[in-house]
Amino acid sequence: MQSDLADLVERLFSEEAAFTVAVLVLFTGAVLAYVIWRWIHSVFERTGINDAIEGTAFERSANRFGTSTSGIVATLLGLFVYALAIVAAFNVARILDPELFWAQLTRNLPRILIAVLAVIVGLIAGDKAKIVIQERLRSVKLPEASILGDLAKYSIFYIAALIALAQLGIATTALLVLLAAYAFGIVFLVAIAAKDFLAAGAAGIYLLLVEPYTIGDEVRIDEKRGIVQEIDMFVTRIETDGEEYIIPNQQVFRSGIIRIRS
Amino acid sequence: MTGLGAVLDDIVEDIDSILLFTQDDGTFERFDDEETEITVVATENAVDAEQFVSLPLQFNDLDGRIRYGIEGAMDAELISEGDEVVCLTTFIDSGAIDTIIRVRADQFSHTGLYDLFVNSRADSEVVRDVFEVAIELGKKGQKGKPVGALFVVGDAGKVMNKSRPLSYNPFEKSHVHVGDPIVNVMLKEFSRLDGAFVISDGGKIVSAYRYLEPAAEGVDIPKGLGARHMAAGAITRDTNATAIVLSESDGMVRAFKAGELILELDPEEY
Repeated sequence: MQSDLADLVERLFSEEAAFTVAVLVLFTGAVLAYVIWRWIHSVFERTGINDAIEGTAFERSANRFGTSTSGIVATLLGLFVYALAIVAAFNVARILDPELFWAQLTRNLPRILIAVLAVIVGLIAGDKAKIVIQERLRSVKLPEASILGDLAKYSIFYIAALIALAQLGIATTALLVLLAAYAFGIVFLVAIAAKDFLAAGAAGIYLLLVEPYTIGDEVRIDEKRGIVQEIDMFVTRIETDGEEYIIPNQQVFRSGIIRIRS
Repeated sequence: MTGLGAVLDDIVEDIDSILLFTQDDGTFERFDDEETEITVVATENAVDAEQFVSLPLQFNDLDGRIRYGIEGAMDAELISEGDEVVCLTTFIDSGAIDTIIRVRADQFSHTGLYDLFVNSRADSEVVRDVFEVAIELGKKGQKGKPVGALFVVGDAGKVMNKSRPLSYNPFEKSHVHVGDPIVNVMLKEFSRLDGAFVISDGGKIVSAYRYLEPAAEGVDIPKGLGARHMAAGAITRDTNATAIVLSESDGMVRAFKAGELILELDPEEY
């Protein structure tokens, strides 16, 4: 039946188009797998299976691997669908000659395995990263902060997908360029945003190691005179009666410190 | 049985709020349909209650626990002055609720127990960590012998200016914070030294071996406490620091703020 399909494609279009269709089938399979994955999750959630199996040994060991039972089931089914799509795509592209197909399959099996592994690891790592980031940001009661977790998660998914696709021998140059642009954008933005922090941190390391002044000293920095209350990586706190100056460390470094000995 | 029921009914009649001292999900769920406002008071919000007051220590004495809960709830405006509050708590270490206490929120004189932890200059975690160190030290002592110690927490700059070193400062150029795992051991060793530990707002141990020189005139602490407590009371009156003292003679942990004794704990109970 599959070779019928391949014949049909070849008859309708050209031999090159068969390859395109194969890729299309692969892509559709991936989307379908994702949809199924989401669907299983929501079914588990809605039917209350999640609550029912909470605390079971399997769930606990699944939890130890950073996933859950619903996650494993969903991933397996999704992978199954994806595998089907891959087989279909191979059939469409390789057309006919089942023996050649199986030869190809054995040759490509390790690569497929690595691709599947990349997807699994990517899924787990992405979810895990999101959870870790959300835990960290829990104390920050800012709705916008939750976007960071999703950002990290989908970035990892993207990279995992890229590795998997590259393993399957699909041209990923365009996606790679996109990734590079994305990574560069993030690095660039973070570098701009964190410039002052970097400077303050570098000065802070010096101040903490050498301790030119310490808590309890009376100092003057830029006409700000007072008793040092606290020094950390980024800021120095200086206090006078009624006023507390919080001075970034790079400013301390730039304008120098006057220690007052009376 | 009717007499007992009537007494219990009387206790919970016309109340404005409930303070529930529990971390147990099951206990909390039993109050799902309760119409009176419920505030959960516990060391952590394990039941995801909407109204929550965080206990810094698992106060073993009922008085301190309820006092802290009420002052905390009042500070967060969960209850207001004059409210009739019923506290449900555990008195005997069984885990289940076994005690019902009805109080008026303004019945307690304001002792500042809540302020001690939350509205101190130092971070509340730092105050809590120092308490834990002091309690630990009080329990074990130094090589089995009771030790005394004086920790001055917060406003370290001013404290340093109102004190002088008795000897070289072992914490110079070190960056040790209370709450680091190594600290218990270090402080235990250094507690042999005389003098006070000075700890900054952020928890850095600034110095050991400090001789505090505040003006002690007019500091009123309970009779019978020694020079260490007097120094603690006096330094907190002169600065915005909090002082936590482990008494060598009776083994109690006491906290001073603004020159007054705020809290007294027996380490053996924790």
